[in-house]
Amino acid sequence: MKVSEATLVSPSTLDECLLLLNDQKHSVQLLAGGTDAVVRMKEGVWNPDTWINIKNLDALRYIEEVNHEIHIGALTSHTDLVESKLINERADVLAQAAKEIGAIQLQNMGTIGGNIATASPAGDTIPALFVLDAKIELRSLTDTRLIPIREIFTGPGRTVKKSDEIITKIIIRSQDEDEIGIFEKLGPRKAQSISIVNVAISLKMGEKPRECLEGKIAFGSVAPTIIRATKCEYMLKLNPLFDDVIHDIASAAWKEVMPISDVRASAKYRRNMASSLLERGLYRLMKRWEEQ
Amino acid sequence: MKSKAKKDVLNEEQKLKWIGKSVKRIDGPEKVTGEQKYKTDYSYSNMVWGKVLRAKYPFAKIKSIDTVKAEAHPDVICVLTYKDIPGFNGFGIVTPDQPVLCEDVVRCTADAVALVAAETVEAADEALDLIEVDYEVLEPVTDVENAMLQGAPKLHKDGNIHSHVTIKNGDIDAGFDEADYIFEHTFYSPRQMHAFIETEGGWGRMEEDGSLVIECPGQYGHRDKLQIARALALNPERIHVYSSPNGGGFGGKDEITVQIYLALLAMNTGGRPVKIHLSREESVIAGIKRHPFKVTVKTGAKKDGTLVANKVRAVADTGAYASLGGAVIALAIEHASGPYTIPNVDMEGFCVYTNNGIAGAFRGFGVNQVCVGIETHIDMLAEKTGLDPIEIRKKNAYKQGDISSLGHVVKSSVGTIETLDKAAACDLWKNRDYYKNQVSEPWKKRGVAVATSFHGVGMGIGTPDYGAATIELLQDGKFKVGVAIEEIGTGNGTVYAQVAAECLKCDINRIVVVQGDTKQTLDSGTISASRSTYTGGRAIATAAPNMINLLTEEAANLLGVSVSEIELAYDRLVDAHDHTRFVTYEEIYESLHDKHRSKRVEGHFYLPKEKEELKNSGGAPHHLYGYMTHVVLVEVDTLTGQTDVIKVVAIPDVGKVLNPQGLEGQTEGGAVMGIGYTLYEDVLIEDGYHKTKNFTDYIIPTIRETPEIETIPVESNEESGPFGAKGIAEVVMIPIIPAIMSAIYDATGARVYHLPATPERVYQAIQESKPQSLISR
Ligand SMILES: Cc1cc2nc3c(=O)[nH]c(=O)nc-3n(C[C@H](O)[C@H](O)[C@H](O)COP(=O)(O)OP(=O)(O)OC[C@H]3O[C@@H](n4cnc5c(N)ncnc54)[C@H](O)[C@@H]3O)c2cc1C
Repeated sequence: MKVSEATLVSPSTLDECLLLLNDQKHSVQLLAGGTDAVVRMKEGVWNPDTWINIKNLDALRYIEEVNHEIHIGALTSHTDLVESKLINERADVLAQAAKEIGAIQLQNMGTIGGNIATASPAGDTIPALFVLDAKIELRSLTDTRLIPIREIFTGPGRTVKKSDEIITKIIIRSQDEDEIGIFEKLGPRKAQSISIVNVAISLKMGEKPRECLEGKIAFGSVAPTIIRATKCEYMLKLNPLFDDVIHDIASAAWKEVMPISDVRASAKYRRNMASSLLERGLYRLMKRWEEQ
Repeated sequence: MKSKAKKDVLNEEQKLKWIGKSVKRIDGPEKVTGEQKYKTDYSYSNMVWGKVLRAKYPFAKIKSIDTVKAEAHPDVICVLTYKDIPGFNGFGIVTPDQPVLCEDVVRCTADAVALVAAETVEAADEALDLIEVDYEVLEPVTDVENAMLQGAPKLHKDGNIHSHVTIKNGDIDAGFDEADYIFEHTFYSPRQMHAFIETEGGWGRMEEDGSLVIECPGQYGHRDKLQIARALALNPERIHVYSSPNGGGFGGKDEITVQIYLALLAMNTGGRPVKIHLSREESVIAGIKRHPFKVTVKTGAKKDGTLVANKVRAVADTGAYASLGGAVIALAIEHASGPYTIPNVDMEGFCVYTNNGIAGAFRGFGVNQVCVGIETHIDMLAEKTGLDPIEIRKKNAYKQGDISSLGHVVKSSVGTIETLDKAAACDLWKNRDYYKNQVSEPWKKRGVAVATSFHGVGMGIGTPDYGAATIELLQDGKFKVGVAIEEIGTGNGTVYAQVAAECLKCDINRIVVVQGDTKQTLDSGTISASRSTYTGGRAIATAAPNMINLLTEEAANLLGVSVSEIELAYDRLVDAHDHTRFVTYEEIYESLHDKHRSKRVEGHFYLPKEKEELKNSGGAPHHLYGYMTHVVLVEVDTLTGQTDVIKVVAIPDVGKVLNPQGLEGQTEGGAVMGIGYTLYEDVLIEDGYHKTKNFTDYIIPTIRETPEIETIPVESNEESGPFGAKGIAEVVMIPIIPAIMSAIYDATGARVYHLPATPERVYQAIQESKPQSLISR
């Protein structure tokens, strides 16, 4: 298939889009912001017969609070997340993650649905979605299903999404007043960089100083998919999070990850960085918590 | 004598109208708005696309090449191999050892094996896939030290050592015997990519009269023309090269890029213009890079800070072909002991062939790689002795008239000590303890360091170096100033307009600058070697009096007075006795035109050279050098090893500053490129294959990595230069490299010897320097 022979269709409603996705004869692929898709097309990796351009499906671009949950349309851009009052107040970790994506231009074009569907182990919004217990709504012409984020990814670049399905929305929990989150990213430079390691943290704090009742930690770029650091999560609850405790928890992090070596970093460095980012993140979180 | 020279400049300065002013870039608006069209931005209705088939393996014998299937593709216009080269199958600025199209062997993945012209890019790509090349794969040579060993597979018939240069002065053993301290370290430098915004590309076109037009960004159109002519066996007069403007060069377009491919294809497309424009991915593989060096430096010093001995061994990986590798290693060795008077030096350099792509010219030209040794050792000496690092440098720096480490008397201007004085007096250095304490989080550490260096201006001994300019009076009373030296982003055209307007005493809007056009301009050498302001400026200043003579004679005729009674006034020529009587340039043009007289004058200028070449040095010493000191402040995140450059003070000695805004453009761009070199950039090649494919993993600084940069120029008037100017374009990225390395050490106590100092390398160095804990709170 030559790039010049591919067709591009732009459905104006979700139903029309679902019909197009149901095409049995041709290979089809969705095109949202195109920030991953165009790159892969140029590389010759993605070359469907038909591109279904959904960038203008504004019905899938919203952020709203519903019964203590936040619903995010799949076409919500990273900039939308960064600028949303609701996300900043109730899902700070996601706002911070969106802000770390590429640079302004990328944040304007790229969507949260695209970030999930690309399923990169380095995708920056995904760890945040993990600690916010996200559920992903997938729709096809005939079916709608809601999949917990932990079950979405099957490997690098692979998800349980079927070829006739589209991600329509993402549902996350809304953090309470006593909850606080942070996203930490280590890239080879400050902007336009792929994460060497990233981590999202969401904590529920108690009454006592630095008392943590419950916490969730998710790492990116250190395993074939995003992973939760359950041992560290458990340790969060054992003692108040003073600096030496933070250091001990962080030191355990390297045991939870199983990274690879590539041109960006060695496995050993990635392991160490899982600890460093967790330490840095918890330290910053506690500082912010005390200042609040 | 010196103070008198200064006074003259001062007097003159008051009279100067354009020189020394931040005259806006003549090409500024187009560049800022994106209106500027580069060669590769154009297209023609009847155009065809050219593509290059690159080698599949880094080292292999070619057993056969079969193009039948590719030729049968319906949209293919021609497929060319080495058999289709009418002339000499090779190119290379000094040693033409790179085949235009490989015949029997490929030596790196940059090698070109065949060319295709087709109706579309896609068809050209398909045709490349249809060319069948049968290879016998050989074991690649990828390590410079192994390449030099007896018995290593030979890339070229004379072996793998392309060049070996040495400079010796004094008695090295006696020097080390005298030393109280000796430092010895080995440094590794990155394979930096020019990363210009416009990748290699351009146009080839046969004109109806049978002449060949090549429109292709380049850094020396007149030389490109000769290299094309040699490969095509064509009279160079039949070839016209348009090589300006460039979407960035930095040395990466000094060598032939695609000009010969364009020429070959253009001769086989039935008169249709052919375009080649490398994708970023192809540019990463095919384009030349900075030579990675391994440099071992041993420095001896006395307790009082006097440097007494310096021994250097530098090995440069030039990849599969020489290009300017020989000259790069020669310049490196010439500069490897710094701008100092070290009485005993023993330096040698090797330029070595491997199957790792191709290396060539790049801003700094070898000096970047070697300056880290001597500068790092001076900082180590400062720490050992407790002496001030600036004082040690001042103590050892040569002044104008002194004998350098190379053993020659430096006759041109030298600003090192003044740049160091300004460094000592600058806010960042004076208040460095204050700045270092401003860390925001406990695991962040800050450091401040200083370094100084220098860089030759123009070609060394043995390479003729000249400039030429034309000035033509136009019908509308403007002057067309022709200097072949291309615009590659530096803004030299603006300086040319300033020099011309100043010399001709006219408004700058009357100056039309033509660059990079072999038809309209005289050969004036390269845009490289920090030479273009100096050389082009001098050439214009040499041509201008000829134009003034022409104008004066004709004005005298028109006003009916003698030549001595004509005065050159602003924008006109007047009768000295009666200022109401004058002639305009337009009137002079008309008069000359009616008489069928030429309205064009020329100016030729030969760069001053040293008389005696240091034996085996490959061209040292230079007559002229630019000097520079950098002070930097960095912050290191010791948890991750990430280094942030926060402040840079750039103190160049540039001779007279012709355009302050242009100078800042250079010091700021140079600082950022130096930061990229030190912290981020490297094209990784493993077993001869590129691991770095494109900008996803080739990390150049963005605006967020760009620190506050302050420029404090030192103006050491260079009497031979145009209005006292020297060159600046390369030295601006050099001392910042060791300065950042030492600032990291100042911050963390860890030294990185292998650049770039990526977070991982810095982190590892910190771990090794104090393995007890992650953070020291
Ligand atoms: C220069 C650059 C920098 C980048 N930096 C970062 C970074 O720092 N961090 C990071 O995480 N990512 C980064 N990216 C990757 C990319 O920008 C993000 O993953 C982005 O969120 C993708 O969204 P998109 O809308 O552009 O997706 P597209 O490119 O349009 O699509 C990507 C994939 O998702 C599918 N898809 C899109 N929308 C849907 C949907 N609603 N339902 C089902 N499938 C869908 C498409 O079919 C395609 O397979 C960068 C990319 C570039 C080019």
